[in-house]
Amino acid sequence: MTAIQMEQSFGQRLKNSNIVQAWLVLTLALLFGAALAGIQISLAPTIEANKINETRQKVPELIFGKTRALEMAAQNKNLHVTPQFIAVEKQGKKVFYNVFKADMDGKCVGWVVKTNGQGYADKIELLIGLAPDAETITGLFILDQKETPGLGNKIVTEKWRSQFIGKPTGTRLTVTKTGAVTDTEINAVTGATISSRSAINIINTAVGDLKGPLTAKAK
Amino acid sequence: MNYVIDIVLIAISAALINNFVLHYFVGICPFVGVSRRVDMAFGMGCAVTFVITIAAVLSWSITTFILIPGAPLSRWIAGFFLSAEAAAKIDLTILSYIIYIFAIASAVQFVEMYVRKFFPSLYKSFGVFLPLITTNCAILFACLMIMANIVGVDNPADAWDLGRSLVLAAFGGVGFTIAIVIMAGIREELDLCDVPKPFQGAAITLIVGGILALAFMGFTGVDSGLKKALTPEPVAQVVVSPDAGQALQLARVSKSLSVQ
Amino acid sequence: MERTIKKMADQPTTTERFIQGILPENPVYRQLLGLCATLAVTNNMKSALTMGGAVAFVLVCANVITSLMRNLLKPHLRIVIFTLTIATFVTIADRFLAAYMYQMSKTLGPYIPLIIVNCIIICRCEVCASKQPVITAAADAVGQSIGFTLAMASLAAVREILGTGMFFGLRVLPVAWPDWVIMVLPPGAFLTFGILLGTLNWIDSLRAAGSGKK
Repeated sequence: MTAIQMEQSFGQRLKNSNIVQAWLVLTLALLFGAALAGIQISLAPTIEANKINETRQKVPELIFGKTRALEMAAQNKNLHVTPQFIAVEKQGKKVFYNVFKADMDGKCVGWVVKTNGQGYADKIELLIGLAPDAETITGLFILDQKETPGLGNKIVTEKWRSQFIGKPTGTRLTVTKTGAVTDTEINAVTGATISSRSAINIINTAVGDLKGPLTAKAK
Repeated sequence: MNYVIDIVLIAISAALINNFVLHYFVGICPFVGVSRRVDMAFGMGCAVTFVITIAAVLSWSITTFILIPGAPLSRWIAGFFLSAEAAAKIDLTILSYIIYIFAIASAVQFVEMYVRKFFPSLYKSFGVFLPLITTNCAILFACLMIMANIVGVDNPADAWDLGRSLVLAAFGGVGFTIAIVIMAGIREELDLCDVPKPFQGAAITLIVGGILALAFMGFTGVDSGLKKALTPEPVAQVVVSPDAGQALQLARVSKSLSVQ
Repeated sequence: MERTIKKMADQPTTTERFIQGILPENPVYRQLLGLCATLAVTNNMKSALTMGGAVAFVLVCANVITSLMRNLLKPHLRIVIFTLTIATFVTIADRFLAAYMYQMSKTLGPYIPLIIVNCIIICRCEVCASKQPVITAAADAVGQSIGFTLAMASLAAVREILGTGMFFGLRVLPVAWPDWVIMVLPPGAFLTFGILLGTLNWIDSLRAAGSGKK
């Protein structure tokens, strides 16, 4: 037998031997498993931090407004943010709200509520900034939405969101198509009344449910 | 009652409003290359629906009972090697994609055996398409949506149960079937038309698909409208005057208060 | 033995594999593979290029590993090993994106894991990597990735410019341009791709007619 023929039969033997095949698959699976475990250990903290920072980064802006938040960042003043779950019982069912408490120098300076609800198309997820006594809305940020681009999409613009700053939480906010006059009216996005109304409903529900508990906690 | 409404909305959303093919772009390969005969397309749609449902059940079970942190089975097994606290934190979700694709491959194998045994003529007419369903994006997409609703929620109580996952998968398959049957019907007609040579085949199919997608866009907002119609309002919407509104507000909140 | 030598000579060389992948055997426009990803993420240029990069990473790694293992595996096990390899690399790519490009990972959403069932990768592993040595397989992977990214970029450019007047987030068309919002929505994807495909076929037929006349 020539050398090449001997090599061929060795390769053939490898291919035909079931034990070798099984070991091969097992080794490969273990290698991949180890690689994935390594990735998990090294990257999982970063990913967790990304998820949390997505909300945390917005907290100063939602409570103090954009300009003051930038000032605070420049002065390196940091807020201490504690996430908590607040349960509210509605119609016999417990509904949990994801609430962030913002403290500065040991004193509560505001709340940020993360909530979601049905929009025109799919869910809208948003962050509401509230004053420490939960009497006024201090900011609004849309985290996730799938509304119509160019129409309902405009609820993410700063111009529309800034209407909410300073609005009282005592009464339900309503949406108008023409100029908003009273303290509880919000201008709808032109051509996207349903998206606007959905967002406002989500805010009304969350604020209505949490106003009592938050006021009690702030005391 | 709320659960039933939820299920109905998920079903309608998966089948019509957020149609797997025309809105999420999954399952395009059979959609574009689909047979020009309506009965073949319907058979393919049914096979895909069957496989999606089985794959969804498998992936939901594995995710809920093995993969997520604190899952019963992995916690029990790890409990033999680690302390109880560390066992509760074992997070195997990094393996989810691998497990899903193998679950799908097993589901396809199972369906293939079933069809070969009970519908031999159907099996022959399918030919090579049945094993090819493994690479159909729609099935993996359904599993991924289910995973997103279990792993991606902030509050563990909101994680989807088997009913919702099953409904999403089954009606996603139904939506897929609707889309390819319509497309097959249109292609049957297209064969008799004078399509310009550069556009024959895939290009005209895609353009027709675009018009179909445009038509299905008309369903947007049906689910939010339905939800509003079916869900009873918690309290009267009428705001008489600022004071009355405040009184109503306080009454509602104090009635339903249960602070953690 | 003579038969083996002849069979190997029939297969394309490294450079041929590389060049074929870019335009002549373009995975999207000619082979019509990987359409799910192409239509879904080409809303704007950034997503399209990120997806192209992810597919390139997975394709190259999968091709290399498959090529290294090609002489050791029974045909029956090939599919299992392909799937395992591709799924592992896609998981790695997905985790990397979630860690270092979090917003992009949220935008691309479920379409990164869908690379696992992207027909391009399975097809290349089956056609090229399982039969040819590592360098050729790698060249094939790189060529196909470049072709794929070019195809997606062409689609994304049209959709983003017409749909939002912007390119890579920078305004390109005047503000007075009424955005063709339909372009960034699903119907726009289908229509744009269909028209581009038809146009490419037409250009090809013109070229074939021109060279035929010679």
